[in-house]
Order: sequence, then structure tokens, then C-alpha cells
Amino acid sequence: MAEQYDWAAIARNPKYLELKRRKRIFLFGWWIASSIYYFLLAILAAFAPELFKIKVIGVINFGYVFILSEFVMCIIVALYYTHVANKDFDRMTNELIESLHQGGAI
Amino acid sequence: MISRFITAGVIALSLTAIGYAAEPANGTPSAAVAASAPASAAQQAISATAQKPEAVKAAAPVAVNKVTPNRTITIGMFLVIIAITLAVVIWAAKNTTTASDFYAAGGGITGWQNGWAIAGDYMSAASFLGMSGLMSLYGIDGFMYAVGPAFSFIAILLVIAEPCRNSGKFTLGDILSFRTSSKPVRAVAAISTVTVSLFYLIAQMVGAGKLMQVLLNIPYRVSVMGVGFLMVGYVVFGGMKATTWVQIIKAGLLMSGTVMLAVLVMAKVNMNPFTLFHDLVNNPLIQDHVRLTLLKEAIPKEGFDYGQRFLEPGLLLKNPLDQISLGVAWALGAAGLPHILMRFFTVPSAKEARKSIVVALFINSSFFFLINIIGFGAALYLSPQLIQSIDKGGNMATLMLAQKLGGGAGSLGGDMFLAFICAVAFATILAVVSGLVLAASAAIAHDVYVNIVMNGKADQQTQVKVARITSLVVGITGVMMGLMAENENVVAFVALAFAVAASGNFPVIMLTLFWRKFNTAGVISGLVVGTVAALGLVMISPVMTYPQNVANGAKKIIVALEKKQAEGKMLDEKEIITLDKAQVVFKKNDGGTSMFGLKDAIFPLKNPGIVSVPIGLIAAILGALLFRERRAEEMFDELEVRQITGLGVSKASDH
Repeated sequence: MAEQYDWAAIARNPKYLELKRRKRIFLFGWWIASSIYYFLLAILAAFAPELFKIKVIGVINFGYVFILSEFVMCIIVALYYTHVANKDFDRMTNELIESLHQGGAI
Repeated sequence: MISRFITAGVIALSLTAIGYAAEPANGTPSAAVAASAPASAAQQAISATAQKPEAVKAAAPVAVNKVTPNRTITIGMFLVIIAITLAVVIWAAKNTTTASDFYAAGGGITGWQNGWAIAGDYMSAASFLGMSGLMSLYGIDGFMYAVGPAFSFIAILLVIAEPCRNSGKFTLGDILSFRTSSKPVRAVAAISTVTVSLFYLIAQMVGAGKLMQVLLNIPYRVSVMGVGFLMVGYVVFGGMKATTWVQIIKAGLLMSGTVMLAVLVMAKVNMNPFTLFHDLVNNPLIQDHVRLTLLKEAIPKEGFDYGQRFLEPGLLLKNPLDQISLGVAWALGAAGLPHILMRFFTVPSAKEARKSIVVALFINSSFFFLINIIGFGAALYLSPQLIQSIDKGGNMATLMLAQKLGGGAGSLGGDMFLAFICAVAFATILAVVSGLVLAASAAIAHDVYVNIVMNGKADQQTQVKVARITSLVVGITGVMMGLMAENENVVAFVALAFAVAASGNFPVIMLTLFWRKFNTAGVISGLVVGTVAALGLVMISPVMTYPQNVANGAKKIIVALEKKQAEGKMLDEKEIITLDKAQVVFKKNDGGTSMFGLKDAIFPLKNPGIVSVPIGLIAAILGALLFRERRAEEMFDELEVRQITGLGVSKASDH
């Protein structure tokens, strides 16, 4: 690698700290939230089977709809993350790198 | 030179294949398709057959029923697929000159392509054949299995893919050794990678062998060696580029086959999903299956809707803790699988890595939904009884449905469609095993040889040469282990791969990326303790084969039939055969112990995740806190800046 970075200095850069904070809250927040929804399926199926038997449309019951909703949840979380990452995280990263260039850190 | 070698190989292989095609088909033993995770979904159904194969056979001697694809058409289709993939390999081989080409396809795979390849890694023969079978036999409990694979993408997307891509180069060892002592960490990471990949590889090899044996009457040894020959060819010559493209081609074929089958099912109900569900619930054969086979109620309960019960949980998944433990294995294990991890080094940017996961998630969600339609379609148009008469675990459901909806056995349409689906299943196994060989050999060649033996000083030519030799050795090892494992319970191998990935790899990857105080001692203790805990628990869990249980099953049959005899009733011919077989099985297994000297499982869960993941995590944290390391903590800033911003990595991939 031809270029040398001062990693410790970047790690103290306010722009970097803001990016790190926002990423961390977003990523772990959504990971935990989606995990709760994911494990809810196995837990409810085991401990509240009556709930799964409630018919929603025709013979299709809550259990089936719940399983489908898991897939929908995964896709929504993935799309939302991609949207935020493309829009905010990438922009913040580029701004940070630009400010480093201007500051002569690179 | 390379192309000449491959051409010679193809000719040799074609000759063998044609030789087998010419040989008339005769009766084959019934065998379960091996579980091959990521679709460890098929585990339970298969364990039903795999755990007490002899007891089952003794109870139901129905060797007459089997799916018989047209050999000539099927093998013809195999050869077409082999020819296409080998053409890809020849093309890829010309463009594979550096280590980056070999391990990461030179960073030149787009997000879309990588998405299809990752999706392909998830769509194994077990999800294609096993999961639809589970749905056809156990209703929505089978569908519930499919949620794990889809959800596993969330952890990969949010906390694994981009950080790993930004801080590594080719392997798990690269990431873990970034701020720790390189040599010991790389050595342990390499051992872990090889362990996980080989377990997984053996399961796939055994599955391939059994599948070919059942369908085409090709001897087990020949199929395992054939698959091994092709997979070694793909990896040795084409590296990651060929492996990725073989996976993409297979995923495309698999999706087309799945869409076609699902459309044919839906066409039967005029494209109305409500009609499908309505017919399912009101089907007398399904009602009988639920009542007699699953709930074991000889006399129907007044007013109980047995058809509706098919759409309610609890027919297959009985132990809630095991369910949650399987959920943990999926949620974390898939993210710790080295062959999945490697795919994020093949894309040029974090943005493409992101895109590839969304694409893969989308493809796989659609795939599992279509598999659900196929599974329910199989229950409706074949009946669970017919499916179970051919394979207890339901593994033949997809194939039978293809034959039926194509026009029935013996018709050209039925033969063609069945042959196509068989060929797709074959391609699936080939593609998955190639990725595994590549991951294992990358760990040996890149981590052990280049970075430990040569101290990171090896020119590109040497690196590629070593990588090719290692792939050959890993491939041959895989084939030999596959041959030895013919009669082993492959479910255990799949459970092992996932348990090790979730309990060993995942915690140390997370802590390396996100915890400042993590260090060499932490990586080593986390990987070693997590792996040992996972291995140990699987070895004493119910997924192993316990001869005493098999003997007890046979004993039940003997007692029932002898009681009948004692009552003065005559046994018919079938029952006499059953009794004889049961006695043989009983004698062989009575008093026997599992591979580890146990009469019965000590650990109650099939999936150890819920216990072994915390053990691995705690060991990693304790190790790091006991042996603090200044350098690792000081270098955390660099790793963190890199993983968050991608600084320093973009230059490495464009060349």
C-alpha cells in the first residue's frame, strides 16, 4: 500500500465518530429487533399453538401468515438497510474521506 | 494444457456415464437423500430414516415402489450440464493468474452475480428435495424450517458482510489475524475452516452418492468419485471465478425448475391459492395421513378437523427448545460459514456486497415460497401415503411430482421433466461442493502455507500453484472421506458444521470487529472452546446413531408379531419376512453403543447452539481478559476505521 493513513487521528475525527455512532445504533438496533421477531415464531408456535390456529382468510390461519410475514420482515429490513446505507452511510463516508484529503491526512 | 486435461477428463467421464446408461436398470435399495445444509431443514425427516434405517425397512418392506427416471435422457442432461460448466472452467482458467484471481475472482464479480451465487450456496439438494418433502408430510411445520435460512441473511447483511469485506482479503484467518499474532491465530482459524468445510463436504458427497444410487442405479463409489473429479477440476483450474459461475448457472437452473413446478401446481387450481389451501384441507388422504400416521388415532375424534390440523404447528417439531436452538444455529451459524464469508471478497465495493445479499435474500425467499407450493402440491396430487411409500422422509416428493405433472411415468413429458429435475439436483451438489473445497484449500494454502510457512513472502505464481495443489489434496481427501462415510449418519455432519460455525467462528468474528479489548488469546480460546463444545455436544446428542434404540425398535416389531403368532393367527409372507429381518436387526444392534460408546443420547437437543454458542462466547471474552495484549488494543482503531469506512481496501481490489 503506497498511502499511509493516520488511523488514530481518523478515529478521533468528529465526522468519523458521528458515522460510527449512527452505524452502530442502526445495525445493532435492527439486528436485535429482527432477531426478536424471528425467535418469536418458534416461541409462539411452541407455547401458544392456539394463536396459530386462528383462521385469517378461508382456511389459511394465523400461523401460516406469521411464517410468511417472517420472509417479508427480512426483505423489508434488508431493503431499508440498503436504502439508508446507500443514502446516508455512503454519503457520510465520502464526506469524511474528502475532508481527510483536504486536511492533508492522506 | 489445462483444456487438454479437461477434455480428456470429460471424455473419460462421458464414457463411464454412457456405460452406465447402457446397462439396464434393476432394483435399488431405498435410501434417504443426504441432508446438506444450509438446508439442514431436511434434518429431522432424514434423521427419521437415517437413525433407524433398518428398523424402518423391517417395518415396511416396500422396495417395489421407486422413482425411475429415464436413464438415457437423465444422463444426457447431466452431460449437457457438465459440458457447460467445464466450458466455464476453461474460460475462467485463462483468467486466473494471481492469488486474488484464484480466491476472490479478482474482485470482479458484480453484486447481482454474487447474489445469485450466494443464493446458490443456500439452495442445496436438501432444500430442493428434502424441504418440499417435509412440507408434503408435515404441513406448515415444514415451512417453518425455511424461515431460518432467510433470516440468516440479516446478520450477514448488518454485521458481517461489509465489515469483513473491508478488513479481510481472502479468508477467515485474514480477518481474525488483523490485530493479533498472525501465526497462531491463522493456524487455529485454518483448522476451524477446514473442519467446518470438510464436515459439510462429507455430507454433500454422501448425499450425492445416495441420490445417484437411488435414481440412476449408479454405484455409490462411482458417483462419489465422479462428483469429486468434477469438483476438483472446477476448483483447481477455475478457482473462485469458475466456482462462482458454476454456482450461478446452477442457481438459475434450480430456480427455473422450481418456478416451472410451482406454476404447474398452481395451474391445477386455476392459479387461485385459496383453492389450493381449500383442497388441501378437504383432501381425505391428507386427513387420514394426519390422523393415522402423525397423530396415531385409530378412531377419528368427533368433530375434529384433521385436514385443518395439517396447517397447524406441532406435527413435526415437538421439542420447543430444540427449535430455538436450531434457530440460533441458523441465525449465527450461516454467518460463520467460511465458504459464505469468502464470497464477500469477490465484489469490488461495499455497495456491491450489500446488493448481493439483498439479491440473494430475494431469490431465496421466493425459492422457499415456491418450495412451499411444490410441497403442498405434492401432498395434494400425490398423497402423503404414496410419498412415504417411496421414501419415509419424503425426499422423493419433488421428483415424483415432476414426473406426475410432466405427464406421468413413461410419458415423454414426465420423463423429460423428471430428468431435468434430477440433473438440476446433481448440478446443485456439484456447485456446493466446489465452494467448500475452495474455502478449505484457501485456508490451507493462504493461511498456513503463504502466511505461516513462508511468512507472507510468496510470489503470485507460487501462491496460485500452491492453491491448486491444495485444492487437489482437499478434493481427494473429501472423496476418500465420502467413500468411508457411506453408512454414516450425515445429519450429524451437517449439525456439526453449523454448530462449529455458530459457536466457534461467529463469536470471534464479532468480537474482533467490535470489541477493542479482544486479542490473540481471545481468538484462540474462543475458537478452540467453541469448536470443542459444539463437537462434544453433537457427539452425545440424538443425531448420532444409537444401536440400542434401533434394537428396541426392532424388538417392538418382534413382540407384536410374536404376540399375533401366539394368538394362533397365521402370519402372511410379508409379515414373516418382516419378523426375520427384525430379528436380524435386533441381534446385530442389541447391547451395541454409538460411535462414542453411548447407549443413548446424554444431551437432549439435536442442535447444540443454545448451549455451545454462549460457551464459545464466554471463552472468547475470558481468554481476552485474562491475557491482555497492548498491540491488539492499539490496532483496534485501524481495524475499526477500515471496517466502517472501507478505507485502504478499495486500492487492493482494482488491478
